[in-house]
Amino acid sequence: MDREWNDNQPIYRQLRDRVVAMILDGVLKEGDPLPSVRVVAAEYRVNPLTVLKGYQQLVDEQLVESRRGRGMFINEGARSLLLQGERQKFLTEEWPRVHATIARLGLKAEELLDGGSKAKPASSTPSTNNPGEEPKS
Amino acid sequence: MKPRIAITLLLVLMAATAFAQSDAQKSFDNLKALAGEWEGAVTADPPTDMVPAGTRAHVTMRVTSRGNALVHEMQAPGTPLDPTKYDHPVTMIYTDGDHLNLVHYCDAGNRPHMLARKSADGKTVEFDFADLSGGNDYGHMYHAVFTTIDANHHTEDWTYMMPGDKPMHARMDLRRVN
Repeated sequence: MDREWNDNQPIYRQLRDRVVAMILDGVLKEGDPLPSVRVVAAEYRVNPLTVLKGYQQLVDEQLVESRRGRGMFINEGARSLLLQGERQKFLTEEWPRVHATIARLGLKAEELLDGGSKAKPASSTPSTNNPGEEPKS
Repeated sequence: MKPRIAITLLLVLMAATAFAQSDAQKSFDNLKALAGEWEGAVTADPPTDMVPAGTRAHVTMRVTSRGNALVHEMQAPGTPLDPTKYDHPVTMIYTDGDHLNLVHYCDAGNRPHMLARKSADGKTVEFDFADLSGGNDYGHMYHAVFTTIDANHHTEDWTYMMPGDKPMHARMDLRRVN
């Protein structure tokens, strides 16, 4: 994970987003352990309470779970849950704007598919860029 | 008879006000005595595997503004004191009239304001949430308790209200390192 933080969101939220990106990218797989608050705080020089907040957010979203005496683990189904959320977000927040642009420009489905096949694959999380992709898990 | 009742009431009110002022000041003076560098264990309440034994925090407290304010900073141990780069949430504690106030400057971009309850001995100072400036998209600090054990040992309990109003509670058991 990157050690740099931006000023757009609180660090705990950025920490949560990084774990989410790692789950979507397959870097963290379901059942994988998460490093403890102590390790993350020391390695990334972040206040332990901040790490705790980030992890609590992941627990609240049912993406990670605590296993008694063993630590924190990525939940089964976490990737599907995230993809579902990201797809919904795309369809409700981004797609209406994209759809309006397509209608305004009079683009046809063939042109979009042709343009899409020529476009470079994006390097960000697959959820937003490939909304039709099926969960691998 | 009526003037006598009025005078009695006035005296009672004055005594109550004087007590409140001294109570806030006593608590503030006790907190100012904690000025220095502190380090110790962090635990979650209820305990969770997220926070294993050995998780530690560093706290710096210093009196500023000619004794009118106390600055409190939290950080990971060993982190350079560079709040522009690292995660060092700042809290300011000060008296305003007969109230002891706490404002936490969160990296979530908001500033929760808390007010201290009356403390019988000033050793345990408990702050309750009063109001919030800045947004509440990412939650906010909600409650704080400082308990002085002795000159070299105190505990801090912090409650953060996560989005959806889910409280998250952490305790720091701190020993003076400087």
